[in-house]
Amino acid sequence: MPRAVEQEAHAGVVLRVDSLSKRYAENGPPALSDVAFEVRRGELLAVVGPSGCGKTTLLRIVCGLTSASAGTVFLDARPVLRPPREIAVVFQDYSRSLFPWLTVVRNVMFPLRRTQASRAERLATAEAALEELGLRGVARKYPWQLSGGMQQRVAIARALVSRPEILLLDEPFASVDALTRAELQDVLLRVHGEHRRVTIVHVTHDIDEAAYLADRVLVMTPAPGRVVRLVDVELPRPRAQTATRSSDRFLAVRNEIQEAITEQQALQRGGERQ
Amino acid sequence: MTASAARAARPLLGAAVFLAVLGLWQAEARRHPSYLFPAASAVLERASHVWPTSEFLSDVVSSLERLGAGYVIGAGVGVALGLVLGSSVGLRRLLEPLTELLRATPAISIVPAAIVLFGLGEAMHVAVIAFAVCFPVLVNTVEGVRAVSPEVRDTAAMLQVGPVERAVRIHLPAALPQIFAGLRIALSAAVILLVISEFVGAGDGVGHYITFQQSQFNTEEVYGGILFLGLLGYVLNRLFLVVERRVLAWHYGAVGESGR
Repeated sequence: MPRAVEQEAHAGVVLRVDSLSKRYAENGPPALSDVAFEVRRGELLAVVGPSGCGKTTLLRIVCGLTSASAGTVFLDARPVLRPPREIAVVFQDYSRSLFPWLTVVRNVMFPLRRTQASRAERLATAEAALEELGLRGVARKYPWQLSGGMQQRVAIARALVSRPEILLLDEPFASVDALTRAELQDVLLRVHGEHRRVTIVHVTHDIDEAAYLADRVLVMTPAPGRVVRLVDVELPRPRAQTATRSSDRFLAVRNEIQEAITEQQALQRGGERQ
Repeated sequence: MTASAARAARPLLGAAVFLAVLGLWQAEARRHPSYLFPAASAVLERASHVWPTSEFLSDVVSSLERLGAGYVIGAGVGVALGLVLGSSVGLRRLLEPLTELLRATPAISIVPAAIVLFGLGEAMHVAVIAFAVCFPVLVNTVEGVRAVSPEVRDTAAMLQVGPVERAVRIHLPAALPQIFAGLRIALSAAVILLVISEFVGAGDGVGHYITFQQSQFNTEEVYGGILFLGLLGYVLNRLFLVVERRVLAWHYGAVGESGR
Protein backbone atom coordinates (compact mmCIF):
# COMPACT_ATOMS: atom_id res chain seq x y z
CA MET A 1 0.00 0.00 0.00
CA PRO A 2 1.47 3.42 -0.91
CA ARG A 3 2.35 5.58 2.06
CA ALA A 4 -0.30 8.25 1.34
CA VAL A 5 -3.06 5.66 1.16
CA GLU A 6 -1.84 4.02 4.33
CA GLN A 7 -1.89 7.35 6.14
CA GLU A 8 -5.41 8.03 4.95
CA ALA A 9 -6.57 4.62 6.05
CA HIS A 10 -5.28 5.39 9.52
CA ALA A 11 -6.43 8.98 9.61
CA GLY A 12 -9.02 8.30 12.29
CA VAL A 13 -6.73 6.08 14.36
CA VAL A 14 -4.89 7.78 17.20
CA LEU A 15 -3.58 4.68 18.92
CA ARG A 16 -2.74 1.31 17.40
CA VAL A 17 -1.85 -1.70 19.51
CA ASP A 18 -0.05 -4.24 17.39
CA SER A 19 0.11 -7.91 18.48
CA LEU A 20 1.19 -7.10 22.01
CA SER A 21 2.43 -9.86 24.31
CA LYS A 22 3.86 -9.66 27.79
CA ARG A 23 5.50 -12.19 30.05
CA TYR A 24 6.71 -10.98 33.44
CA ALA A 25 8.94 -14.03 33.95
CA GLU A 26 11.04 -15.58 31.18
CA ASN A 27 9.19 -18.90 31.24
CA GLY A 28 6.17 -17.74 33.18
CA PRO A 29 2.59 -17.59 31.90
CA PRO A 30 1.83 -14.73 29.52
CA ALA A 31 0.00 -11.79 31.09
CA LEU A 32 -0.95 -10.65 27.60
CA SER A 33 -1.10 -12.73 24.46
CA ASP A 34 -1.24 -11.20 20.99
CA VAL A 35 -3.46 -8.23 21.87
CA ALA A 36 -4.31 -6.02 18.89
CA PHE A 37 -6.80 -3.19 18.45
CA GLU A 38 -7.12 0.38 17.31
CA VAL A 39 -8.47 3.42 19.11
CA ARG A 40 -10.18 6.09 17.02
CA ARG A 41 -9.61 9.76 17.63
CA GLY A 42 -12.18 11.19 20.03
CA GLU A 43 -13.82 7.91 21.01
CA LEU A 44 -14.33 6.51 24.47
CA LEU A 45 -13.10 2.94 24.46
CA ALA A 46 -13.74 0.79 27.50
CA VAL A 47 -11.51 -2.20 28.25
CA VAL A 48 -13.44 -4.65 30.37
CA GLY A 49 -12.67 -8.06 31.79
CA PRO A 50 -12.38 -10.01 35.03
CA SER A 51 -9.41 -9.41 37.31
CA GLY A 52 -6.22 -10.99 36.07
CA CYS A 53 -7.07 -10.53 32.39
CA GLY A 54 -4.15 -8.16 31.87
CA LYS A 55 -6.13 -4.90 31.65
CA THR A 56 -3.74 -2.99 33.85
CA THR A 57 -0.70 -4.52 32.16
CA LEU A 58 -2.13 -3.46 28.81
CA LEU A 59 -2.71 0.08 30.06
CA ARG A 60 0.79 0.33 31.51
CA ILE A 61 2.32 -0.75 28.21
CA VAL A 62 0.12 1.68 26.24
CA CYS A 63 1.28 4.61 28.36
CA GLY A 64 4.93 3.57 28.26
CA LEU A 65 5.38 2.69 31.93
CA THR A 66 6.01 -1.00 31.19
CA SER A 67 7.71 -2.51 28.17
CA ALA A 68 6.11 -5.22 26.04
CA SER A 69 7.73 -8.60 25.49
CA ALA A 70 6.57 -8.50 21.87
CA GLY A 71 4.53 -6.16 19.72
CA THR A 72 4.32 -2.39 19.57
CA VAL A 73 2.02 0.45 20.56
CA PHE A 74 1.77 3.27 18.00
CA LEU A 75 0.63 6.72 19.02
CA ASP A 76 -0.06 8.79 15.89
CA ALA A 77 1.95 6.18 13.96
CA ARG A 78 5.02 6.61 16.23
CA PRO A 79 6.00 3.75 18.52
CA VAL A 80 5.58 4.40 22.25
CA LEU A 81 8.89 3.69 23.99
CA ARG A 82 8.55 5.88 27.08
CA PRO A 83 5.68 7.85 28.65
CA PRO A 84 4.60 10.29 25.91
CA ARG A 85 3.59 13.86 26.59
CA GLU A 86 0.31 13.29 24.72
CA ILE A 87 -0.97 10.67 27.16
CA ALA A 88 -2.34 11.43 30.62
CA VAL A 89 -3.28 8.74 33.13
CA VAL A 90 -5.64 8.59 36.07
CA PHE A 91 -4.80 5.74 38.41
CA GLN A 92 -7.17 3.83 40.64
CA ASP A 93 -5.54 4.91 43.87
CA TYR A 94 -6.18 8.65 43.85
CA SER A 95 -5.05 8.99 47.46
CA ARG A 96 -1.55 7.93 46.50
CA SER A 97 -1.20 9.42 43.02
CA LEU A 98 -1.95 13.00 44.05
CA PHE A 99 1.11 14.65 45.61
CA PRO A 100 0.18 15.02 49.29
CA TRP A 101 2.68 17.85 49.88
CA LEU A 102 1.04 20.09 47.29
CA THR A 103 -2.29 21.86 47.60
CA VAL A 104 -5.03 20.86 45.19
CA VAL A 105 -4.36 23.73 42.80
CA ARG A 106 -0.60 23.13 42.85
CA ASN A 107 -1.21 19.48 42.02
CA VAL A 108 -3.23 20.56 39.00
CA MET A 109 -0.63 23.20 38.02
CA PHE A 110 2.18 20.64 38.11
CA PRO A 111 1.80 19.39 34.50
CA LEU A 112 1.95 23.02 33.27
CA ARG A 113 5.31 23.75 34.91
CA ARG A 114 7.28 23.80 31.65
CA THR A 115 4.82 25.80 29.56
CA GLN A 116 5.61 29.36 28.51
CA ALA A 117 2.65 30.66 30.49
CA SER A 118 3.25 32.93 33.49
CA ARG A 119 2.48 31.72 36.98
CA ALA A 120 -0.75 33.70 37.03
CA GLU A 121 -1.83 32.14 33.74
CA ARG A 122 -1.00 28.64 34.94
CA LEU A 123 -2.94 29.28 38.12
CA ALA A 124 -5.93 30.48 36.10
CA THR A 125 -5.75 27.41 33.82
CA ALA A 126 -5.59 25.07 36.82
CA GLU A 127 -8.48 26.82 38.53
CA ALA A 128 -10.54 26.59 35.34
CA ALA A 129 -9.80 22.85 35.14
CA LEU A 130 -10.95 22.40 38.75
CA GLU A 131 -14.08 24.41 38.01
CA GLU A 132 -14.79 22.21 35.02
CA LEU A 133 -14.68 19.14 37.25
CA GLY A 134 -17.15 20.78 39.61
CA LEU A 135 -14.55 21.61 42.25
CA ARG A 136 -15.04 25.06 43.73
CA GLY A 137 -13.41 26.49 46.81
CA VAL A 138 -10.99 23.59 47.28
CA ALA A 139 -7.98 24.99 45.40
CA ARG A 140 -6.01 25.88 48.54
CA LYS A 141 -6.86 22.67 50.40
CA TYR A 142 -4.65 19.63 50.61
CA PRO A 143 -5.80 16.39 48.93
CA TRP A 144 -6.39 14.62 52.26
CA GLN A 145 -8.95 17.27 53.20
CA LEU A 146 -11.22 16.11 50.34
CA SER A 147 -13.47 13.07 50.00
CA GLY A 148 -12.36 10.19 47.78
CA GLY A 149 -14.66 11.24 44.97
CA MET A 150 -13.36 14.78 45.07
CA GLN A 151 -9.75 13.59 45.12
CA GLN A 152 -10.43 11.56 42.00
CA ARG A 153 -11.92 14.67 40.34
CA VAL A 154 -8.68 16.48 41.18
CA ALA A 155 -6.72 13.64 39.57
CA ILE A 156 -8.89 13.93 36.43
CA ALA A 157 -8.45 17.71 36.40
CA ARG A 158 -4.67 17.27 36.64
CA ALA A 159 -4.76 14.77 33.78
CA LEU A 160 -6.83 17.07 31.55
CA VAL A 161 -5.11 20.37 32.33
CA SER A 162 -2.32 19.82 29.81
CA ARG A 163 -4.87 19.00 27.05
CA PRO A 164 -3.63 15.46 26.37
CA GLU A 165 -4.62 13.66 23.19
CA ILE A 166 -5.38 10.51 25.12
CA LEU A 167 -6.70 10.07 28.64
CA LEU A 168 -6.11 6.61 30.13
CA LEU A 169 -8.18 5.67 33.16
CA ASP A 170 -7.23 2.61 35.22
CA GLU A 171 -10.25 1.52 37.27
CA PRO A 172 -10.67 5.16 38.25
CA PHE A 173 -13.94 4.73 40.14
CA ALA A 174 -13.23 1.37 41.78
CA SER A 175 -12.36 2.87 45.17
CA VAL A 176 -15.41 5.09 45.68
CA ASP A 177 -18.95 4.32 46.86
CA ALA A 178 -21.76 3.55 44.40
CA LEU A 179 -23.40 7.00 44.45
CA THR A 180 -20.09 8.81 43.96
CA ARG A 181 -19.25 6.33 41.22
CA ALA A 182 -22.40 7.22 39.23
CA GLU A 183 -21.64 10.89 39.76
CA LEU A 184 -18.07 10.49 38.51
CA GLN A 185 -19.26 8.50 35.48
CA ASP A 186 -21.43 11.45 34.48
CA VAL A 187 -18.57 13.87 35.10
CA LEU A 188 -16.45 11.79 32.73
CA LEU A 189 -19.21 11.72 30.09
CA ARG A 190 -19.59 15.49 30.35
CA VAL A 191 -15.84 16.07 30.07
CA HIS A 192 -15.70 13.76 27.05
CA GLY A 193 -18.63 15.58 25.45
CA GLU A 194 -17.02 18.96 25.96
CA HIS A 195 -13.51 18.01 24.78
CA ARG A 196 -14.33 16.25 21.54
CA ARG A 197 -10.66 15.98 20.74
CA VAL A 198 -9.70 13.92 23.75
CA THR A 199 -9.67 10.17 23.29
CA ILE A 200 -10.45 8.15 26.39
CA VAL A 201 -9.40 4.59 27.16
CA HIS A 202 -11.19 3.46 30.28
CA VAL A 203 -10.14 0.24 32.00
CA THR A 204 -12.77 -1.30 34.28
CA HIS A 205 -14.01 -4.63 35.61
CA ASP A 206 -17.57 -3.26 35.74
CA ILE A 207 -19.54 -4.40 32.68
CA ASP A 208 -22.39 -1.93 33.27
CA GLU A 209 -19.97 0.93 33.60
CA ALA A 210 -18.26 -0.03 30.34
CA ALA A 211 -21.60 -0.22 28.49
CA TYR A 212 -22.84 3.04 29.99
CA LEU A 213 -19.74 5.09 29.16
CA ALA A 214 -18.16 3.71 26.02
CA ASP A 215 -18.51 4.00 22.26
CA ARG A 216 -16.86 0.60 21.93
CA VAL A 217 -16.03 -2.04 24.50
CA LEU A 218 -12.96 -4.24 24.26
CA VAL A 219 -13.66 -7.48 26.12
CA MET A 220 -10.67 -9.30 27.60
CA THR A 221 -10.36 -12.65 29.37
CA PRO A 222 -7.54 -14.01 31.51
CA ALA A 223 -5.01 -16.83 31.29
CA PRO A 224 -3.62 -15.63 28.95
CA GLY A 225 -4.89 -12.06 28.80
CA ARG A 226 -6.33 -11.46 25.35
CA VAL A 227 -9.08 -9.68 23.48
CA VAL A 228 -12.09 -11.92 22.84
CA ARG A 229 -14.56 -9.41 21.45
CA LEU A 230 -15.01 -5.81 20.40
CA VAL A 231 -18.56 -4.58 21.02
CA ASP A 232 -20.03 -1.49 19.32
CA VAL A 233 -22.22 0.11 21.95
CA GLU A 234 -24.30 2.34 19.65
CA LEU A 235 -26.20 3.97 22.48
CA PRO A 236 -27.27 7.55 21.77
CA ARG A 237 -25.52 10.45 23.50
CA PRO A 238 -25.98 12.28 25.77
CA ARG A 239 -26.52 9.37 28.12
CA ALA A 240 -28.34 9.43 31.42
CA GLN A 241 -28.08 7.00 34.33
CA THR A 242 -31.73 5.91 34.38
CA ALA A 243 -32.82 6.35 30.73
CA THR A 244 -29.71 4.76 29.23
CA ARG A 245 -29.46 1.91 31.69
CA SER A 246 -33.11 0.93 31.25
CA SER A 247 -32.97 0.92 27.43
CA ASP A 248 -33.16 -2.37 25.49
CA ARG A 249 -29.92 -1.57 23.69
CA PHE A 250 -28.07 -1.18 27.02
CA LEU A 251 -29.26 -4.61 28.12
CA ALA A 252 -28.27 -6.11 24.79
CA VAL A 253 -24.78 -4.62 25.04
CA ARG A 254 -24.17 -5.72 28.61
CA ASN A 255 -25.46 -9.21 27.78
CA GLU A 256 -23.15 -9.44 24.81
CA ILE A 257 -20.19 -8.51 26.99
CA GLN A 258 -21.26 -10.91 29.71
CA GLU A 259 -21.71 -13.74 27.20
CA ALA A 260 -18.28 -13.17 25.68
CA ILE A 261 -16.70 -13.50 29.13
CA THR A 262 -18.82 -16.44 30.27
CA GLU A 263 -18.29 -18.30 26.99
CA GLN A 264 -14.55 -17.97 27.34
CA GLN A 265 -14.61 -19.09 30.97
CA ALA A 266 -16.69 -22.14 30.01
CA LEU A 267 -14.23 -22.99 27.24
CA GLN A 268 -11.33 -22.73 29.67
CA ARG A 269 -13.04 -24.89 32.29
CA GLY A 270 -13.79 -27.45 29.56
CA GLY A 271 -10.15 -27.35 28.54
CA GLU A 272 -9.01 -27.90 32.12
CA ARG A 273 -11.25 -30.95 32.52
CA GLN A 274 -9.82 -32.76 29.51
CA MET B 1 -10.55 13.37 89.40
CA THR B 2 -11.81 12.99 85.82
CA ALA B 3 -9.49 11.90 83.03
CA SER B 4 -9.45 15.35 81.45
CA ALA B 5 -8.72 17.03 84.77
CA ALA B 6 -5.85 14.57 85.28
CA ARG B 7 -4.53 15.45 81.84
CA ALA B 8 -4.75 19.15 82.64
CA ALA B 9 -2.90 18.64 85.91
CA ARG B 10 -0.03 16.71 84.34
CA PRO B 11 2.11 19.73 83.36
CA LEU B 12 1.63 21.15 86.87
CA LEU B 13 2.73 17.85 88.34
CA GLY B 14 5.80 17.86 86.08
CA ALA B 15 6.69 21.36 87.25
CA ALA B 16 6.22 20.28 90.86
CA VAL B 17 8.62 17.34 90.44
CA PHE B 18 11.14 19.64 88.78
CA LEU B 19 10.96 22.11 91.68
CA ALA B 20 11.15 19.29 94.21
CA VAL B 21 14.41 17.99 92.70
CA LEU B 22 15.79 21.53 92.70
CA GLY B 23 14.73 21.87 96.34
CA LEU B 24 16.40 18.58 97.24
CA TRP B 25 19.62 19.73 95.57
CA GLN B 26 19.41 23.01 97.48
CA ALA B 27 18.72 21.31 100.82
CA GLU B 28 21.51 18.74 100.40
CA ALA B 29 24.03 21.39 99.39
CA ARG B 30 23.04 23.49 102.40
CA ARG B 31 23.47 20.51 104.73
CA HIS B 32 27.01 19.82 103.48
CA PRO B 33 28.46 23.20 102.55
CA SER B 34 31.39 22.62 100.19
CA TYR B 35 32.69 24.45 97.14
CA LEU B 36 32.85 21.07 95.39
CA PHE B 37 29.07 20.85 95.43
CA PRO B 38 27.50 24.32 95.17
CA ALA B 39 23.87 25.00 96.05
CA ALA B 40 21.33 25.52 93.30
CA SER B 41 20.73 29.07 94.47
CA ALA B 42 24.45 29.83 94.28
CA VAL B 43 24.68 28.41 90.75
CA LEU B 44 21.70 30.47 89.60
CA GLU B 45 22.97 33.56 91.35
CA ARG B 46 26.38 33.21 89.70
CA ALA B 47 24.77 32.50 86.31
CA SER B 48 22.69 35.65 86.53
CA HIS B 49 25.94 37.60 86.73
CA VAL B 50 28.02 35.61 84.25
CA TRP B 51 25.55 34.92 81.43
CA PRO B 52 24.96 38.60 80.50
CA THR B 53 28.69 39.35 80.31
CA SER B 54 30.18 39.94 76.86
CA GLU B 55 32.80 37.21 77.48
CA PHE B 56 30.15 34.57 78.08
CA LEU B 57 27.97 35.80 75.23
CA SER B 58 30.90 35.62 72.84
CA ASP B 59 31.45 32.01 73.97
CA VAL B 60 27.78 31.36 73.18
CA VAL B 61 28.07 33.00 69.77
CA SER B 62 31.17 30.94 68.91
CA SER B 63 29.39 27.74 69.90
CA LEU B 64 26.26 28.59 67.93
CA GLU B 65 28.31 29.45 64.85
CA ARG B 66 30.08 26.08 64.95
CA LEU B 67 26.84 24.28 65.61
CA GLY B 68 25.03 26.10 62.80
CA ALA B 69 27.79 25.62 60.23
CA GLY B 70 28.32 21.94 61.09
CA TYR B 71 24.62 21.22 61.13
CA VAL B 72 23.87 22.92 57.81
CA ILE B 73 26.84 21.30 56.05
CA GLY B 74 26.14 17.85 57.51
CA ALA B 75 22.41 18.04 56.76
CA GLY B 76 23.02 19.37 53.23
CA VAL B 77 25.48 16.60 52.41
CA GLY B 78 23.24 13.98 54.04
CA VAL B 79 20.13 15.02 52.13
CA ALA B 80 21.91 15.45 48.80
CA LEU B 81 23.73 12.13 49.06
CA GLY B 82 20.56 10.46 50.35
CA LEU B 83 18.56 11.66 47.35
CA VAL B 84 21.18 10.27 44.99
CA LEU B 85 21.56 6.92 46.80
CA GLY B 86 17.81 6.60 47.30
CA SER B 87 17.22 6.81 43.55
CA SER B 88 19.93 4.44 42.41
CA VAL B 89 19.97 0.82 43.47
CA GLY B 90 23.39 0.36 41.86
CA LEU B 91 25.03 3.24 43.68
CA ARG B 92 23.38 2.22 46.93
CA ARG B 93 24.82 -1.30 46.68
CA LEU B 94 28.19 0.16 45.80
CA LEU B 95 28.34 2.58 48.72
CA GLU B 96 26.34 0.69 51.34
CA PRO B 97 29.30 -1.07 53.05
CA LEU B 98 31.06 2.28 53.37
CA THR B 99 28.07 4.26 54.65
CA GLU B 100 27.08 1.45 57.03
CA LEU B 101 30.56 1.41 58.56
CA LEU B 102 30.78 5.20 58.86
CA ARG B 103 27.31 5.32 60.30
CA ALA B 104 28.20 2.75 62.96
CA THR B 105 31.38 4.66 63.88
CA PRO B 106 30.78 6.74 67.02
CA ALA B 107 31.23 10.31 65.84
CA ILE B 108 33.10 11.14 69.06
CA SER B 109 35.86 8.74 68.07
CA ILE B 110 36.87 10.87 65.09
CA VAL B 111 37.58 13.95 67.24
CA PRO B 112 41.28 13.11 67.87
CA ALA B 113 41.79 12.33 64.20
CA ALA B 114 40.00 15.53 63.23
CA ILE B 115 42.34 17.50 65.51
CA VAL B 116 45.34 15.95 63.77
CA LEU B 117 43.82 16.64 60.36
CA PHE B 118 42.36 20.11 60.85
CA GLY B 119 44.26 21.44 63.88
CA LEU B 120 42.43 23.17 66.68
CA GLY B 121 40.65 25.72 64.49
CA GLU B 122 37.06 26.18 63.49
CA ALA B 123 37.35 23.63 60.69
CA MET B 124 37.81 20.82 63.22
CA HIS B 125 34.64 21.68 65.16
CA VAL B 126 32.58 22.11 62.03
CA ALA B 127 33.92 18.88 60.51
CA VAL B 128 33.11 16.64 63.48
CA ILE B 129 29.65 18.16 63.90
CA ALA B 130 28.95 17.77 60.16
CA PHE B 131 30.14 14.16 60.34
CA ALA B 132 27.82 13.39 63.24
CA VAL B 133 24.88 15.09 61.49
CA CYS B 134 25.42 13.64 58.04
CA PHE B 135 24.75 9.96 58.70
CA PRO B 136 21.39 9.95 60.48
CA VAL B 137 20.17 12.39 57.81
CA LEU B 138 21.63 10.33 54.98
CA VAL B 139 20.14 7.06 56.19
CA ASN B 140 16.70 8.58 56.77
CA THR B 141 16.71 10.30 53.39
CA VAL B 142 17.55 7.05 51.61
CA GLU B 143 14.75 5.25 53.46
CA GLY B 144 12.32 8.07 52.71
CA VAL B 145 13.10 8.02 49.00
CA ARG B 146 12.82 4.24 48.84
CA ALA B 147 9.39 4.46 50.46
CA VAL B 148 7.98 6.74 47.75
CA SER B 149 4.84 4.96 46.54
CA PRO B 150 4.78 3.32 43.09
CA GLU B 151 1.71 5.45 42.29
CA VAL B 152 3.70 8.64 42.87
CA ARG B 153 6.59 7.28 40.78
CA ASP B 154 4.24 6.35 37.93
CA THR B 155 2.50 9.72 38.11
CA ALA B 156 5.84 11.51 37.98
CA ALA B 157 6.93 9.43 35.00
CA MET B 158 3.71 10.25 33.14
CA LEU B 159 4.25 13.95 33.91
CA GLN B 160 7.65 13.87 32.13
CA VAL B 161 9.63 14.41 35.34
CA GLY B 162 13.36 13.96 34.65
CA PRO B 163 15.97 12.60 37.12
CA VAL B 164 17.06 15.90 38.70
CA GLU B 165 13.55 17.27 38.91
CA ARG B 166 12.39 13.96 40.36
CA ALA B 167 14.95 14.18 43.15
CA VAL B 168 14.12 17.77 44.04
CA ARG B 169 10.40 18.03 43.38
CA ILE B 170 9.17 14.49 44.07
CA HIS B 171 11.61 12.51 46.22
CA LEU B 172 12.64 15.38 48.49
CA PRO B 173 9.13 16.44 49.56
CA ALA B 174 7.90 12.83 49.67
CA ALA B 175 10.81 11.86 51.95
CA LEU B 176 10.58 14.99 54.08
CA PRO B 177 8.83 13.33 57.06
CA GLN B 178 11.67 10.80 57.33
CA ILE B 179 14.30 13.46 56.64
CA PHE B 180 12.96 15.49 59.56
CA ALA B 181 13.15 12.44 61.81
CA GLY B 182 16.84 12.18 60.85
CA LEU B 183 17.41 15.90 61.31
CA ARG B 184 16.02 15.70 64.82
CA ILE B 185 18.33 12.85 65.84
CA ALA B 186 21.14 14.79 64.20
CA LEU B 187 20.39 17.88 66.26
CA SER B 188 21.15 16.20 69.57
CA ALA B 189 24.19 14.52 68.02
CA ALA B 190 25.38 17.93 66.85
CA VAL B 191 25.14 19.45 70.34
CA ILE B 192 27.07 16.51 71.84
CA LEU B 193 29.85 16.82 69.26
CA LEU B 194 29.97 20.58 69.71
CA VAL B 195 30.59 20.24 73.44
CA ILE B 196 33.06 17.38 73.13
CA SER B 197 35.10 19.13 70.48
CA GLU B 198 35.15 22.30 72.58
CA PHE B 199 36.22 20.31 75.65
CA VAL B 200 39.28 18.97 73.90
CA GLY B 201 40.37 21.73 71.61
CA ALA B 202 38.95 25.21 71.61
CA GLY B 203 39.95 28.70 72.73
CA ASP B 204 36.34 29.69 73.32
CA GLY B 205 32.78 28.37 73.26
CA VAL B 206 30.55 27.13 76.06
CA GLY B 207 32.33 23.75 76.17
CA HIS B 208 35.65 25.51 76.60
CA TYR B 209 34.07 27.76 79.28
CA ILE B 210 33.11 24.70 81.34
CA THR B 211 36.54 23.04 81.18
CA PHE B 212 38.29 26.34 81.85
CA GLN B 213 36.15 27.07 84.93
CA GLN B 214 36.71 23.51 86.10
CA SER B 215 40.47 24.02 85.92
CA GLN B 216 40.01 27.13 88.09
CA PHE B 217 37.87 25.14 90.60
CA ASN B 218 34.94 27.50 89.90
CA THR B 219 32.30 24.84 90.41
CA GLU B 220 29.41 27.29 90.40
CA GLU B 221 30.43 28.32 86.89
CA VAL B 222 30.85 24.69 85.84
CA TYR B 223 27.29 23.87 86.91
CA GLY B 224 26.07 27.09 85.33
CA GLY B 225 27.65 26.06 82.03
CA ILE B 226 26.02 22.64 82.20
CA LEU B 227 22.68 24.30 82.94
CA PHE B 228 23.15 26.62 79.99
CA LEU B 229 23.84 23.71 77.61
CA GLY B 230 20.76 21.92 78.92
CA LEU B 231 18.64 24.97 78.24
CA LEU B 232 20.26 25.43 74.83
CA GLY B 233 19.45 21.83 73.85
CA TYR B 234 15.91 22.25 75.08
CA VAL B 235 15.32 25.51 73.18
CA LEU B 236 16.85 24.12 69.98
CA ASN B 237 14.60 21.08 70.18
CA ARG B 238 11.50 23.24 70.70
CA LEU B 239 12.48 25.47 67.78
CA PHE B 240 13.00 22.38 65.67
CA LEU B 241 9.51 21.12 66.51
CA VAL B 242 7.98 24.48 65.57
CA VAL B 243 9.72 24.38 62.18
CA GLU B 244 8.79 20.72 61.66
CA ARG B 245 5.13 21.34 62.46
CA ARG B 246 5.04 24.13 59.90
CA VAL B 247 6.96 22.41 57.12
CA LEU B 248 5.19 19.08 57.56
CA ALA B 249 1.70 20.47 58.18
CA TRP B 250 0.48 18.64 55.05
CA HIS B 251 1.90 15.38 56.36
CA TYR B 252 0.42 15.53 59.85
CA GLY B 253 -2.96 16.39 58.31
CA ALA B 254 -2.84 13.43 55.95
CA VAL B 255 -1.59 10.99 58.59
CA GLY B 256 -4.19 12.15 61.13
CA GLU B 257 -6.94 11.73 58.58
CA SER B 258 -6.08 8.14 57.65
CA GLY B 259 -5.51 7.21 61.28
CA ARG B 260 -9.02 8.28 62.23
